Amino acid sequence: MKGNVIKYERDNIDTDVIIPGQYLKVHDYAELALHAMEGLDPDFHSKVKEGDFILSGRNFGCGSSREHAPIALSHSGIKAVLALSFARIFYRNAVDGAFLLPIEIEEDAYSNISEGDELDIDIRINEIKNLTKNKTYKMKPFSEIIGKIIEAGGLFKYKPD
Amino acid sequence: MGKTLFEKIWDAHIVIEKENSPSLIYIDRHLVHEVTSPQAFDGLRMNNRSVRRPDLTIATMDHNVPTNNRTLPILDQTSAVQIQTLEKNCKDFGIQLFDINSPNQGIVHVIGPQLGITLPGSTIVCGDSHTSTHGAFGALAFGIGTSEVEHVLASQTLWLEKPKPFEIRIEGKRKNPHAVTAKDIILSIIKNIGTSGGNGTVIEYKGEGISDLSMEQRMTICNMSIEAGARAGLIAPDEKTFEYLRGREYTPKNYESLVDYWRDNLKTDSDAKFEKNYTLHVDNIAPQVSWGTNPGMTCDVTESVPFPEDFSKGDQNQKKGAEKALEYMALNPGTPITEIKIDRVFIGSCTNARLEDLIEASKVVKGKKLSPHVRAMVVPGSQMVKKQAEELGLDKIFTDANFEWREAGCSMCLGMNPDILSPGERCASTSNRNFEGRQGTGGRTHLVSPVMAAAAAIEGHFVDVREMDLN
Ligand code: SF4
Repeated sequence: MKGNVIKYERDNIDTDVIIPGQYLKVHDYAELALHAMEGLDPDFHSKVKEGDFILSGRNFGCGSSREHAPIALSHSGIKAVLALSFARIFYRNAVDGAFLLPIEIEEDAYSNISEGDELDIDIRINEIKNLTKNKTYKMKPFSEIIGKIIEAGGLFKYKPD
Repeated sequence: MGKTLFEKIWDAHIVIEKENSPSLIYIDRHLVHEVTSPQAFDGLRMNNRSVRRPDLTIATMDHNVPTNNRTLPILDQTSAVQIQTLEKNCKDFGIQLFDINSPNQGIVHVIGPQLGITLPGSTIVCGDSHTSTHGAFGALAFGIGTSEVEHVLASQTLWLEKPKPFEIRIEGKRKNPHAVTAKDIILSIIKNIGTSGGNGTVIEYKGEGISDLSMEQRMTICNMSIEAGARAGLIAPDEKTFEYLRGREYTPKNYESLVDYWRDNLKTDSDAKFEKNYTLHVDNIAPQVSWGTNPGMTCDVTESVPFPEDFSKGDQNQKKGAEKALEYMALNPGTPITEIKIDRVFIGSCTNARLEDLIEASKVVKGKKLSPHVRAMVVPGSQMVKKQAEELGLDKIFTDANFEWREAGCSMCLGMNPDILSPGERCASTSNRNFEGRQGTGGRTHLVSPVMAAAAAIEGHFVDVREMDLN
């Protein structure tokens, strides 16, 4: 999975900035996507490309239960969010609905990767290659269940063995 | 080894358990509201599924209902559609709905307890992060995402990874319990452990500082557990809990025998082990005011807006976060909190819009007038709270002081209904989130208790409510 990075160097990016409350009534995913990250970065929509990744600090996605948050990001083209840690409901929403991959990274990746870097992420071997900087980082492996839900393509396709 | 209360409730609800994998957990109660449910019902239809236990599922509308005159049509078309969609879904799937005209309508976390739907020892979920509120009754209650809402509707169960138990002890006695409230206790905790301090855990609150609190105050504490990153907050039920639930509309018929069982079983064993511990001494805590853009960015009312380098204690991300927050909030470090002027006051939300909250706030307001440059709203958490408050004449106290007295709903807690801040407006709010844009694009939120909000409304800026006569 290859893509470029949009970096937000801060902790606690919350669901109210990922998709502000006034858009929770919107059901059209394409329209939701127009307002992704609007609370934090009004230029997000113009700079995001299909296949991009977001890189951020700790506790990404804290706040509300709104599934609209991962939906808005995924319909903007974001394939994965790389963060030092995630808030639980965002994490599960992202995985359960197969919207995008929440990838936990370590400090080295967080500080080394810059805005615009091209990454190649391989979740089978838990590796992130930075093609721009020619470096490799480890990602934290998914837990067993999360791995299985991702493999199945979402919670409703998941059949426990 | 003994078990914690959380582990007892968890174990009693396991449907499937295997080592090193998540457990399938039975859900006793499912609360549904208009915002996080439409896709879930669509999903059921698409797959020809029904709702497994409509009798354990209860719906209401709270997030986007207007809080002005209920006899008028809803102007915002998308809100109207979302509300009609919930009506249709509840009808199609046989779910009880407290709609906009029901005397039981209100914020989902206010009506559950007040109707006796929230019961000790049960598992409760809702597609809403503040479901943690119900933990005040010794229920394991947590917010879930929309796919999980669908899963519960279809199966009355959820695949869950077991959180870790976290003990927070609250010790000591508050010197002035009318001025230093449950909200100040929970804000102090979040300030100290941080907004991710509780990640992956269920917090059990214990100690003298908890048993002293009323049920409504305990709900304020558990409500904000999620702001500390926890999955849920929990308080072991005691006589206050049992008394609160006795004789409510949906309290079970065999209530007294349940109480006997709960009294004997719903507590943490003395030799149980917690993964994490934290203790807060409340003897000397002050009223709290948030200055930044997450609930951890909070200080005493007697302090000044902090300098980012002092706040961050060397952590670069924290420092950047604080700088951004101050810029957004238009605050200069070093400014005394009591010099911050406000434009709006919001007394409401699932954190602080219960009867007691309104009674306490009314004591501050009684016989006084709103500061002329402030607009203040009081939004009861449910129609029942509104009615009880009106029976006590609280509406009159507030309206005499030029506050607006409104219909029940989430209102200005989140900017998705007509009650919002304008860009740049500064609000003293009794809600739970001060995220950027939470109360409307560009709006600036300071989290406080109901008495602190009321006092700020009167004075036009924050004041230390301990200095006012509240009796
Ligand atoms: S009052 Fe606020 S926090 Fe509570 S349920 Fe409504 S929107 Fe959510």
